[in-house]
Amino acid sequence: MNNALPSTARRAVAMLAPLLAALLLISGLLAAAPAGATTATGWIRLAHLSPNAPAVDVYLYNFGNPDARVVLHHVSYGTVSPYQQVPAGEYTVSMRAAGARGSAKPILSTGFEVSHGRAYTVAGMGPAAGLRLQVIDDSITAPAGHALVRVIQASLSQHVVTVSLGHLTLHQLGFASVSTYRTVTAGHDLAKVTGKSEQTSMNMPVSADSIHTLVVLDGSKGLRLTDLEDAAGSQAAPVGGAATGLGGTAPRPAPAPWPWLAVIVAGALLSLAGARRFRAARTTRT
Amino acid sequence: MRGGRQAVTALVTLVTGLAVIACGSVALAVAPHQTEGTAARPVAPSTATPLPAAPAAPNATATPVTAAVPAIPLATSTPAATSAPVATPVALAIPAIAVSTPLIRLGLTSSGRLQVPDRFDVAGWYDGSPPPGATGPAVIAGHIDSVAGPAVFYRLDLLRPGNRIYVHRADGSVAVFAVTGVGLYPKDHFPTAQVYGSVPGRQLRLITCGGTFDWTRHSYLSNVVVYATAVS
Repeated sequence: MNNALPSTARRAVAMLAPLLAALLLISGLLAAAPAGATTATGWIRLAHLSPNAPAVDVYLYNFGNPDARVVLHHVSYGTVSPYQQVPAGEYTVSMRAAGARGSAKPILSTGFEVSHGRAYTVAGMGPAAGLRLQVIDDSITAPAGHALVRVIQASLSQHVVTVSLGHLTLHQLGFASVSTYRTVTAGHDLAKVTGKSEQTSMNMPVSADSIHTLVVLDGSKGLRLTDLEDAAGSQAAPVGGAATGLGGTAPRPAPAPWPWLAVIVAGALLSLAGARRFRAARTTRT
Repeated sequence: MRGGRQAVTALVTLVTGLAVIACGSVALAVAPHQTEGTAARPVAPSTATPLPAAPAAPNATATPVTAAVPAIPLATSTPAATSAPVATPVALAIPAIAVSTPLIRLGLTSSGRLQVPDRFDVAGWYDGSPPPGATGPAVIAGHIDSVAGPAVFYRLDLLRPGNRIYVHRADGSVAVFAVTGVGLYPKDHFPTAQVYGSVPGRQLRLITCGGTFDWTRHSYLSNVVVYATAVS
C-alpha cells in the first residue's frame, strides 16, 4: 500500500520523461534553425585567367531557369568577380565573345552542382587555343588559428614558376595549374613568385582563420601577383552570446500568489479558532 | 454573562476570519497574472508598424535565381583584390525598421565575451571581425531595450530577406547589404562558428537579444542574429 503511490508516480515519470525530452528537443531544433537557413545556398565567383584569350561575356544560368541569369560583360584577363551567394542546385556557365548576343552559340559552356555551404571559382583557364572552363572547389574554413593559401598559376610567359610565402614554398607550378591549399601561420609575410626570367613579390598580411588564393598573372611589366581572399573569419570569436538587453520591454513576471494564499490560510485559522471558541462558549452556558 | 461575551468575541473572530478569507481570495483572483511590456511589441510583422516595402524584396512569383542573384558588380578590369584595406564603419542605417545610428567600436571583455555599447541608442562594430565590406562576417551589436524601454535594435527581428542595410564608412563610402535570414538562438547554445567563423564573400551579422527575459538573472535567454550579404 505504501509503495503504491511512489510506484505510480515513478511510472508516470517514466512515461512522461521521453515525451518531455522529445518536446524539448523539438523546441530546441526549431529555435536553432534560422529563418533564412531553410534555403540551401552556396557561393560562386567567376574569373578570366587565360592570358591570350580576348575579353568575354560570362553567363551564369540556374538549371531549369534559363531566363534567370547573371551576365558579366566584357570580362578580361585577370578579372575575378566577388563571390555571389546563390541557391544550391545545378548551374551552367557559358562564355560568349564580348558583345555577342545572349542567343549566340557560346564559345564554352560547363555545368556544375552548387552544394549547400560550399564555394566555387569558375575560371576560364589555359591558352586561348585550348581555353577551358574549370570549376575549382574553394575552401571556406581554415584549421583553428591558422590560414590556408593556394596558388593558381595563370602566367603564360613564365610557364613554370615557384611561389613562396614565409616558410611555404610551392615548386615548379605549371601554367594553368591550381595547387592544393596549404596551411600557414598567421602574420605578415613576403609573397614571392619566381619564373624563368621574371620575378616579383609583395607584402601579404595573412590573418588567422583566413583563406587565400594567390594568382600569378602576366602583367604589362612582367609577372604580377594577386591575393584573393577566399574567406575570412573573426580575429577572435567572443565567448557565448551577447548581453544586449535589460528587459525594459519584456513582459513582467506574474506576482507570486504566496502572500495572498497566506492571508487566506490566516483567515481560515482565525475562523476555525472563532468557531471553536463559539462552540465552547455555548457549551459553558448550558 | 461571561459566557455571552465569550460567544460574541468568538463570533467576531469567526466573521473576521471569513472576511479575511474573502479578501484574500478576491485579491488573488484579480491580481494580474502577467504585466504587459512597457512598449506594445508587435508579435508578427503583419501586425507591426508597416514596414516599408523592401527595395528588392523578391516577390513570390520571381524565379529564385533572379531573386538571389543580383547583377554581379565587377571592378572594371582590375582583379577583385579583396585583401585591400577597407575603411572602418562609422554609421548604420536600416530604413525598414527606422534604424539610423552612429557606430562605436566594440572589443572583448576580460572574460572574452562580446563588449556591448554602454549606451542604448547606438550600435557598435566588433573590431575583431572584418570591417563591413571586407571578406568575412562583419559583426554589429546593439541593445533591444534598456531598463526603461526600447533601444536601437528593438525591432531587429522584424527584418526579412531582401531588406537593405547600409553601413557608412570613415572614408565616406557606403557598403550595402541585403538580409538573407534571421535566427533566434538560446544564449547557452550560441552558434559561434556560424556567426563569427570564416565565410566567403562580404557578409554582415547584426546581433541583439530576444526570446524570454529571465527576471531572476535580469538577462534575455536568447540572441537574435540577422544575416546579410553585400550587394554592392
